[in-house]
Amino acid sequence: MCGISGAIGLKDVSNALFESIRNLEYRGYDSCGVALIEKKRLLVKKNIGEVESVYRKENILRHRSNIGIAHTRWATHGSVTKDNTHPFLSKCGKFAVVHNGIISNYRLLREQLIREGYRFHSETDSEVIPQLLSKFYAKEKNIELALRKTMNVLEGTFALAFITTYLPDHIFCAKRESPLMLGIADETKFIGSDFNSFIDFTKNAVIIEDGEYAVISKDGYIVKNSITGEEVAKTIMKIEWDSETSKKGGYPHYMLKEIYEQPQTVQNALDISEDDIADLSNMISKARQAYLVGVGTTFYVAKFGKYTLANLAGQFLPTVSSDEFMSLANVDSNDFVLAVSQSGETYDTLSALRYAKLNKCPTGAIVNVMGSTMARLVDKVILQGSGPEISVISTKAAISQMAILVRIGLHLGIKNKKISKQTYKKHMKDLRELPEIIHGILNERSGFIHRIAHRYCQVKHWLYLGRGIYYPIALESALKMKEVAYVHAEGMPGGFLKHGTLAMIDENINSIVFMPPKEDKKLYESTLHCVEEIRARSGFVLGIHFDARGKNKDLFSEELILPSVSPVVAPFLQVVIAQLLAYFTGTSLKRNVDKPRALAKSVTVG
Amino acid sequence: MKAIILAAGKGGNLLPFSQTRPIPLVSVAGTDIFDNTVGLLKSSGINDIFAVVGHQKEKVIERIGEHSHNGLNIHYLEQKKLGEIGVAVSQAKNKISPGEYFMLVYGDIVASSNIFSKIQQSFHSFKSAVASICLPPSNEMFGNVFLNAQMKITQIIEKPKNNDLGNYVLAGVYILPSKFFKILEKNRYSMEKSIREMAQKEGLWASMWEDEWLDIVYPWEILTANQILMDSWEASLISSSATLEGNVTMQGPVRIEDNVVVKAGAVLEGPCSIGKGSYIGNNSLIRSYTSLGEGCSVGYGVEMKNCVVFKNSRIGRLSFIGDSVLGEEVDVGAGSMTVNRSTDWSPVEVKLGRKNFKTGQTKLGAFVGDGVIIGAGNTVEPGTIIPPGKSLPACYTIKR
Repeated sequence: MCGISGAIGLKDVSNALFESIRNLEYRGYDSCGVALIEKKRLLVKKNIGEVESVYRKENILRHRSNIGIAHTRWATHGSVTKDNTHPFLSKCGKFAVVHNGIISNYRLLREQLIREGYRFHSETDSEVIPQLLSKFYAKEKNIELALRKTMNVLEGTFALAFITTYLPDHIFCAKRESPLMLGIADETKFIGSDFNSFIDFTKNAVIIEDGEYAVISKDGYIVKNSITGEEVAKTIMKIEWDSETSKKGGYPHYMLKEIYEQPQTVQNALDISEDDIADLSNMISKARQAYLVGVGTTFYVAKFGKYTLANLAGQFLPTVSSDEFMSLANVDSNDFVLAVSQSGETYDTLSALRYAKLNKCPTGAIVNVMGSTMARLVDKVILQGSGPEISVISTKAAISQMAILVRIGLHLGIKNKKISKQTYKKHMKDLRELPEIIHGILNERSGFIHRIAHRYCQVKHWLYLGRGIYYPIALESALKMKEVAYVHAEGMPGGFLKHGTLAMIDENINSIVFMPPKEDKKLYESTLHCVEEIRARSGFVLGIHFDARGKNKDLFSEELILPSVSPVVAPFLQVVIAQLLAYFTGTSLKRNVDKPRALAKSVTVG
Repeated sequence: MKAIILAAGKGGNLLPFSQTRPIPLVSVAGTDIFDNTVGLLKSSGINDIFAVVGHQKEKVIERIGEHSHNGLNIHYLEQKKLGEIGVAVSQAKNKISPGEYFMLVYGDIVASSNIFSKIQQSFHSFKSAVASICLPPSNEMFGNVFLNAQMKITQIIEKPKNNDLGNYVLAGVYILPSKFFKILEKNRYSMEKSIREMAQKEGLWASMWEDEWLDIVYPWEILTANQILMDSWEASLISSSATLEGNVTMQGPVRIEDNVVVKAGAVLEGPCSIGKGSYIGNNSLIRSYTSLGEGCSVGYGVEMKNCVVFKNSRIGRLSFIGDSVLGEEVDVGAGSMTVNRSTDWSPVEVKLGRKNFKTGQTKLGAFVGDGVIIGAGNTVEPGTIIPPGKSLPACYTIKR
């Protein structure tokens, strides 16, 4: 079992050849070798070890060539030594051959060739091939004829390729039972044991069949039958392939990848130094009036911060959508503006901050992208370290911002003597368990969420309801649904229902209610009222709750059950559920999840 | 890369069709599961295929013969002693070289697009053993996997009971190293234990499949598989040798194969498929999700909807076939009807062996085995299974 590859092109192909042979390592990797034609001379480099280490040891990429063949070996005949590594040179030094397969009559051929004066340097079966080519070429003075004669005397299986200084602009290859394909790109032509060797460069493949050989030049290829020598017409097959997959780490979409990265981003948020948190918290408490600003998802994150700071620290911060900030806030040097942004380039938020700066108001920001305009603009920045967020839909960055705001809330809570050291410690401990809980939800709940999303993906209107801190969660969750699935979803506080919206409840509108954990008794009871109000009008309610299974059997039309957790981390789990619900609704409706219409990653226009 | 298709299983719950064929030869969407699998493998760049055969092996071997002049290198391996899946897999041991990776494909799965291409992409990026995973309608029959953020499978829980896991499950498509055969041997050919060992000791990565996926176990799932495949059709395909008389109406993607005759006044609502040499009588109504096999004959004024009919069957005039599956060489007499719902719209139950199964479907007709003869004028109760070869007398309202 071995892998062979080759490349020929107008320009230098040495890097492409390296990639192509490395992608065949799964076929065997105890030794590796390369043959190139440099300045009309054959150059063979080989050694034992994996492809990358051989390339390093032999400094192969130093050589430039527009033609080359390579081999990665898994020893079958002969031990793992440099001598036994392909490519093999002919006695005349004009042919370099790589071979995959087993030549069953090689002993016989070898003895014959030795009698005729050929010398062998390896214990392998493959080395007879270059010698045969050289012998037949001496007689025929024609490479193709020599190849056909060689194929005639070889018994066993092979996929072989060779280059020769006699015709330095061509790769020759042939097949019997071992696999062989050509890859046809515009500038470069490839050969390979399978398409893994060239799929990064082209999806166009030509499959060589048993008893056929091919001659490949930089401009094209000819496939012939080895017995008749006649040309065989070949169709180009397009391999179904999405070359983005590898970048997505195997995930179907960046959004899902980033949802799965959330345990790590929350962890990173918890690892931010206490001093950084204290700085922002001090700036808030020093200010006569502090504001939270953000826009889109970050506005809802800011709203979440508003509730967190009120609950934990008893401090009320007006939260303003960045684009409205200038119309509302009259700030001066005694105030403080804290902005939240993933990219740090959001036009609206930057405008709000610039306006504040103009009025000599201190500014701070929670930003993901290091070195962004916002990170440089503000007086104090916390870099959240969530890693690049590629999906246009913000998931992991938002949840990390939420965690940072909870930490600020806790710090401020102690400062304002609203919570005890003990409560602080308890909450921090809960937060530290959060990554593991999110991880568990992703694994154990995805299927349930997928089923519900799939079942209700045709629903045109959704109400997202929550009370207290679950109100911003409802808003953010509804936004996700709109962004990803283009489905109308309206977030509102649960108390709003009876002030008009109940009139909308009928079979055409579904509701999602974000239930708090039972410990939050008052909030739990009042949220329950919303559910009953809708159910009384035969409305559909999907409950996302923390109660034991079976407990709310008749209450909800559908339910998604979360593990019982402390109230401080509960909203995070609701967000994760809502992200997946939006995601699966989007995929069920075949939406372009990572690049939804009418949305850009950082909105840099006003 | 070489692929191994497991086509030896008996499919005990797929009555009455599994009695006379292995599951992969069940017809769907104008083809069958085996041909569909082979076709997708081919377009994913694989052309070295081994099919493990056992139950009703001659039928698969015959099919392989038809494929081998198709540019494919396809062979069969015989599983002498039927039983564990692991034993079936190990039949291919000598066909895979040491150090080589191969694709393993369960022969009874259907996906809406190319799952084999997807898993090879994952393999291309992980360069290590990979298992396809998906989110099925229920978790209880499958291996539930736990993933870390890098898509490595950290744990597998087989067939969880009380419905408290909603994980991704193993989807019956793998890319495995040759050393897997040793692991199988060590675990006494238990596939579940061996895959678990792969995950725990060797490393097994996941390839997420998000489109439709189905493991065909029950006869009514043939209809679901048929829908999944037909939903991926975008255009009509009509053979130039087909004869369409005047006033034939067609909507949506309709597939009409060679030498089909469609008589005047027939209406074909896509997606639907009419197999080679079939005949559609005057004023027939062929509604969506109808798959008619090769050499079938549909008489005057027949209505068909959401049904799969295998090859060489005949449906007499003025009949109704809906939400049903008919095997090969079935003869339905004139004026027969497969009733497809109960009067109170309650979900239809199907009796398989001695057990009653809740299908959850409010509309479901009959499952008619190969060679069944249904005499004229019969009405068949929803959810009925008719065993192969059975002959039912005609049902006259006025007798001599």
